Amino acid sequence: MTDLESVSNLQQTAESNVLVNVQEMQFLLDKAVAWGQADSPDTLKDTCLHLNRLENFLQQLLTYINSMKSTAETMKKLPFLGQFLGRLCWNPCVTAGGTSRGLLLQCLLGLYSEHPSNAVERKANQWIRKVLCQLATDEDDAAAQAFMRRMGVPAKEYHLRVLQKMVAQLQENIGQSCCSQSSIDQRCSCDSTLATSDLVVPLVTCPETFPLICSLLQQPVACVRETLSENFLDTLSFAHSRLPLEEQGRISVWYHSLPSLEEAVLGLLDSVTETRPSLLKLEQEVTKSLLPKACAQHCSMFLVANDIFRSVIKQAEGNQSVKSVIHTFTRCFWRELSLLKPQTSASLKAFFPQSPPSLLIPLLTMPSEMPREAWKNHSKWLSSSLQKLTEEEEGDGDSTSTRGHHSVFEAWFLLVQCEHWVQVAAQLLVTSGPEDCRPLLWLLTFYHHPTNRWHHRASQLEKAKAAWDHLHAISSDLNDPLPVDRLQSLIALLSPQPQMPPPASSLILSLVVEFAVFCQLPLRAATDILKTVVAQPGLSEEAACVLSSLQLRLNEGGCSSSDRVQLRINHLQNTLTDVKA
Amino acid sequence: MEAVLKNLANTVELLAVAAHSCAVNQWDKQTVSRAFHWAKYCEHIYSRFHTNSTIRRVMEKQLQLTNQSLRDAIPAYSEVSFTDLPRCQHLLLVRLLKNPELPSSVMRIFFETKSAVNDAPCEYEDIRGLCSHMIEHRSACKVLSPVSGASAVGADAEVQGEMLMERLGALLSQNTNPHLAEHFLCSVLPLFEGTAQHLCLVITAALLTPKDSATQTASQDFLLDWLLKKDNVLQYMCSLLPSTLLKDLAKEHLKFREAYCGVLKQWASDMKYSVNDGEWGQTSTDPPVSFQNITKHFQTLFEACPSMRASTEDELRALRISNGDFDVRGLSVWGDLLSAIKGQK
Repeated sequence: MTDLESVSNLQQTAESNVLVNVQEMQFLLDKAVAWGQADSPDTLKDTCLHLNRLENFLQQLLTYINSMKSTAETMKKLPFLGQFLGRLCWNPCVTAGGTSRGLLLQCLLGLYSEHPSNAVERKANQWIRKVLCQLATDEDDAAAQAFMRRMGVPAKEYHLRVLQKMVAQLQENIGQSCCSQSSIDQRCSCDSTLATSDLVVPLVTCPETFPLICSLLQQPVACVRETLSENFLDTLSFAHSRLPLEEQGRISVWYHSLPSLEEAVLGLLDSVTETRPSLLKLEQEVTKSLLPKACAQHCSMFLVANDIFRSVIKQAEGNQSVKSVIHTFTRCFWRELSLLKPQTSASLKAFFPQSPPSLLIPLLTMPSEMPREAWKNHSKWLSSSLQKLTEEEEGDGDSTSTRGHHSVFEAWFLLVQCEHWVQVAAQLLVTSGPEDCRPLLWLLTFYHHPTNRWHHRASQLEKAKAAWDHLHAISSDLNDPLPVDRLQSLIALLSPQPQMPPPASSLILSLVVEFAVFCQLPLRAATDILKTVVAQPGLSEEAACVLSSLQLRLNEGGCSSSDRVQLRINHLQNTLTDVKA
Repeated sequence: MEAVLKNLANTVELLAVAAHSCAVNQWDKQTVSRAFHWAKYCEHIYSRFHTNSTIRRVMEKQLQLTNQSLRDAIPAYSEVSFTDLPRCQHLLLVRLLKNPELPSSVMRIFFETKSAVNDAPCEYEDIRGLCSHMIEHRSACKVLSPVSGASAVGADAEVQGEMLMERLGALLSQNTNPHLAEHFLCSVLPLFEGTAQHLCLVITAALLTPKDSATQTASQDFLLDWLLKKDNVLQYMCSLLPSTLLKDLAKEHLKFREAYCGVLKQWASDMKYSVNDGEWGQTSTDPPVSFQNITKHFQTLFEACPSMRASTEDELRALRISNGDFDVRGLSVWGDLLSAIKGQK
């Protein structure tokens, strides 16, 4: 279509720039004529398929009508408007759908002139009244109308009851089990389920048909055929935020419709990385999203969610809030899975097909699930296993091998999902001697700087070791005052230096926080250290984050922390708030 | 009581104004809302007094008077009867919509949809979106009807059957005079003029509603007794209903079972053997029932109640003997029926 042609297809109002696509109107008018000619399920289905397009056009039309000076002018510009709207009034799909009905009625009422100034407008007013009155009162079933009159039943109540009965009957029908396993040619209830799902598209906004929609969604996918129509699922995934769907209904929408699942996962990521809630809040948000529950029920959904997380974290790997979401999500998922465990048959391997199998259970195990004395050995074992894996893959000589990168990435991704062991290693570092600190530091470094090439893991490890040395020395020296030179060197490690890789601030900061909480120094001294360190720009917030994550972990799962630790955390948190203020 | 009668008369006058007066163009939201409250009031006094024959008579008298004076004043006036009272709000709505003087602002309220306004409840909740909701429900039924064929009775017939039982139950429980209930059922019949199939479905639905209470059992018994006296309706049911429903009815009601069997025997007794066609046929029922169909019906009956097979076969055997007990095809309809039934076993 040339530009000139496309301009001629648009009808513009005189006063404003509101446009109506005449070609679209012609297309939809032809459709409306065709729909009106046959009252078959196929025409209803075709209407349902075009409902969204029709709604968009009616919206356009409504804006156009409202922007015109008079109805006479509108009718002159769009001579087929009356015919178009009139035909739509007698299409049950259009009048059943909440949005389409609303727009259609508003268009009609928009054309009604309060003070008709000519014959066209007077005639239009008459016609609109007639159409509206017929719409509201017309009964095509004479026997039913006579029956209502004889029984003294108002039409409103009668139609509501018929609809509710119909919904109940259809629900029962849908509930019947699928029989097509015996023969593919045989008709089975899934056929009618599919047909029903096609037709309920306009009804997703109708509260009375809502139970039917829930029943449709609870259909198990047992049949060889498609059981729910694509149009139905698309409509639902678009409308689900406005629907009071129950938990299982929402999960079913995701299960049947991949785009809606993707939308939900991305929506969760967006909302929590934007608002950056506290970790406790984050966990509530993630649980509320129902996604962990859904993923525990359906392995395929977990795989999809994780693929989304993978690609997001590849783009924003340094982003701690993304990491927190992934860790929180995995923890919530793990909890839901353990609630389902007795019934579920999917093996863990099915949920984590790409993760290194030997590390799977050891990492997914929560620290609270093993005795505290075993933490150190477990963390050291995790560290050495991961170290071995990275050395094998990186030491292949061929450092560009994609397979190698891939398996290192998968190991690291699993560690992000199971961040609790990184936190445990950081805590253990406070009380460890030099003999244990290497492997624990390596685990922390790997978490923050997964590759050697891009992240300079080796040099970061050295920095972390230096920071640990300083912290170890400061915290072993119980005499006042604090060794200023040590503190200065520690701060220097956190400052950017030219020609050097970016400072390992997150890593070192988490070490500082762990030391401040768990070391033997008096609280005042620990507070001073933290205060001095976070005086650096931008560090106090991150330190607060580490603290709250620590607090959450300690409160959770029976990791009973002593009163002393609790007190120290609270005090340090207050200090950080003061610093920020 | 006097006050009630006055209110009743006023509301009927209000309905007349709503339909015929140009004063309606002065009505605003408040006026319309108040009018609906009065209509609701009439619905309420109906439900309160409709079973009390004394009060009902007084009210009917009042309605007569008011109707009379309104008819004198307004030539096109349509009367309001006592049985219209439970649908008073609906009558008001229809009359307002048909009045060309109805302000468009009121029309807009009737046709509002939920999405068009915010969901906070407004002052005129009772009239807001009144028409929109009705259109929604009626349209939704139409949209779903192509897929709702799975139920043999159909949603509309089932609802009508339920309503029939409700009304019958109310009449029977509050009135000792069974003629009223009988009169009521007879008045329902002509409503389905020309739609015999639908009438059969409504009665079936009524007879198959779950019996939750003694009232319902009594109502069904009453309906069944009435049905057995209406031979033509019973015959319609036996010839027009699908066999699944006949089976359900026969399973549920002993009386129906026996009546069904009786109808089948009557059909058979009317059969004549045509030597030319080599077949039994009959012309007494409309539409005519074939010999094969009668056999199928007997089969349906036996599936519903297996114990009837032996007794019916005995009966047919006795009838065959009375016809001479010949074992030749075409001589006795009973003998041929007996072998057909046995052959299908």
